[in-house]
Amino acid sequence: MATYILRRTLQSIPILFGVALVSFAIIQLAPGSPIDRFRTPNVRPETLENLIRLYGLDKPVHEQFVSWFTAFVQFWRTEAWGYSLVDGRSVRDTIVDRMPATLLLGGTALLVTIILAVPIGILAAVRQYSWADKAITTFATVGYAIPSFLLGLYIAYLGTVVFRGAFPSFGMVSLPGSEGRGTPLDIAWHMVLPVTSLAIQQIAGWSRYVRAKMLEVLNQDYVRTAKAKGLSATKVTYKHALRNALIPVITLFGLTLPGLLAGAVITESIFSWPGLGLLGLTAVQNRDYPMVLAFVMVGGFGVVLGNLLADVLYGVVDPRIKY
Amino acid sequence: MVTDTTAAENERRRAEEAEAESADIDRTPVRTYWQLVRQRFMKHRLAVFAVIVLIVLATYALVVPVITGDAWRQTHLFRDDAPPELFDGDGEFTFAILGYNEIGQNLFARLGKATQTSLTIGLAAVVIIVVIGIFIGSIAGYVGGWLDNVLMRFVDIMLSLPGLFVILMITAFFGQGNVWVIVLAIGLTGWTTAARLVRAEFLSLRDVDYVQAARALGASPQRIILRHMLPPAMAPIVVAATLGIADSVVVESALSFLGFGIGGEGASLGTMLQNAQNYFFSGPLKVLYPGLTLILIVLSASFLGDGLRDALDPRQRVDK
Repeated sequence: MATYILRRTLQSIPILFGVALVSFAIIQLAPGSPIDRFRTPNVRPETLENLIRLYGLDKPVHEQFVSWFTAFVQFWRTEAWGYSLVDGRSVRDTIVDRMPATLLLGGTALLVTIILAVPIGILAAVRQYSWADKAITTFATVGYAIPSFLLGLYIAYLGTVVFRGAFPSFGMVSLPGSEGRGTPLDIAWHMVLPVTSLAIQQIAGWSRYVRAKMLEVLNQDYVRTAKAKGLSATKVTYKHALRNALIPVITLFGLTLPGLLAGAVITESIFSWPGLGLLGLTAVQNRDYPMVLAFVMVGGFGVVLGNLLADVLYGVVDPRIKY
Repeated sequence: MVTDTTAAENERRRAEEAEAESADIDRTPVRTYWQLVRQRFMKHRLAVFAVIVLIVLATYALVVPVITGDAWRQTHLFRDDAPPELFDGDGEFTFAILGYNEIGQNLFARLGKATQTSLTIGLAAVVIIVVIGIFIGSIAGYVGGWLDNVLMRFVDIMLSLPGLFVILMITAFFGQGNVWVIVLAIGLTGWTTAARLVRAEFLSLRDVDYVQAARALGASPQRIILRHMLPPAMAPIVVAATLGIADSVVVESALSFLGFGIGGEGASLGTMLQNAQNYFFSGPLKVLYPGLTLILIVLSASFLGDGLRDALDPRQRVDK
């Protein structure tokens, strides 16, 4: 097991290196350069040349990549990921600062998803073809088909217009000066709409998956045997079938993780949630190259970590898997 | 006596049945693959319905911008948020069945243009996805070995990139608002699934008898790939492409919604939604029209994909 985890971790290093290479290449190929923002009539050409030399932009591309990458992997240093071209702050510190908001939003959405999607999926599978199953399947199909930004938009509309602002659709805390600003209750209140819009989509996907896996298990011989030997339906469903049906569901954890880390760009932008996604979006808008590169790397790291987690968890919960 | 007649009767009945059966077999028409496909597809009621919806939407997207001309971007000074109307003050027909938006643009005409833009970008991106996917996938699957390994690791890297964000990055850095940049950004990042699919098909076909026979007869790799391996692999590719249309349209709309796609004067479903977001209170319907159109496109494309998956699969049986 330990050697397997080690092997898988080592395998993901070249992939992360590839992610760095591809994202660096995109930025290199793009027209424009980081010092364009200083190109004003007030800045002398010598100053620009000094800047080019300072940032090492006169060096060959591969040297630039090597110096960026070797600095980037030393993530324990404040200056490792460079400084923002917009506010001059350390990129690493800004990302670390923004991480909790994103994790809070994504983690809550994931929790809500698990609490609701698993029972919903089981219900649909146990009562296959009943009206409840049909309603759930329809909800899952439509929920899966609605683009996330549209769902977020409609939910923001519900919160602001239909419920007349009962739930805020902007930010993470109340405006300065309002009572109870920044208390857990205040934050929870602000989380209602963004969590709902993130969770609905996830629930749609997860419940479909749980239903399919549950049906697969319910049709297996050992379940029929359990029924035949006279066990109660509840015991068969929840003790014998459910345990095996949940094994593949565990892997969904890992696959949902990247969405939590970097994929909430759309939801965060609709609800102005001060997390990583919004940070990445503004970085692209401002052409803040160090920030953009760091964001892509964090996103890539999330995907790789998620896949690793999915594989390892699968091995942990399924005793048939041998390494 | 009684038993005799019944025995004779049974005999006769059995003979009749056998005759009817053989006649039935004779009467069963020989059905070609495409006839079977059509029969299987027609059984998929949702897919048939999806085709109708898609035809209606495509007609709308093609016809409305032609017959209404410039109406999709013309602003009318005194018609901001005006309710639906058929004739304007001069008694001229206006097509404003959906009313006007906040700057007095005809929503019916604008929605037509937006649907046209979004569908065109979606289709163009899928073409790129399929072409790159077939190219990379067929080479990886046919050649195998180290080349396959290299290409598949590249696919792994592409899949590890945060997709939507990279598309945002490409459109923002390479010319924002340019339709072709958007198409290329979606196409160049979205081919990985198609490539994996084609590779898997090719791997399973590589050692099939008829392919080996073609190789033994001295057919060139090009000929084997294009004439012998690609046609049987086409069914899953067509299904993936259909589903890919939905994804591409959604990505384009999301881009435009976030302000990285079609900008300025242009109309896409995403820009219409972004616009409408700022006018929640004055016109909720403005969010509804482009949103519904988008959902219809996505749902129809995925139902069509499901239907095609079952219909194109030769292993699926068709009952009489």
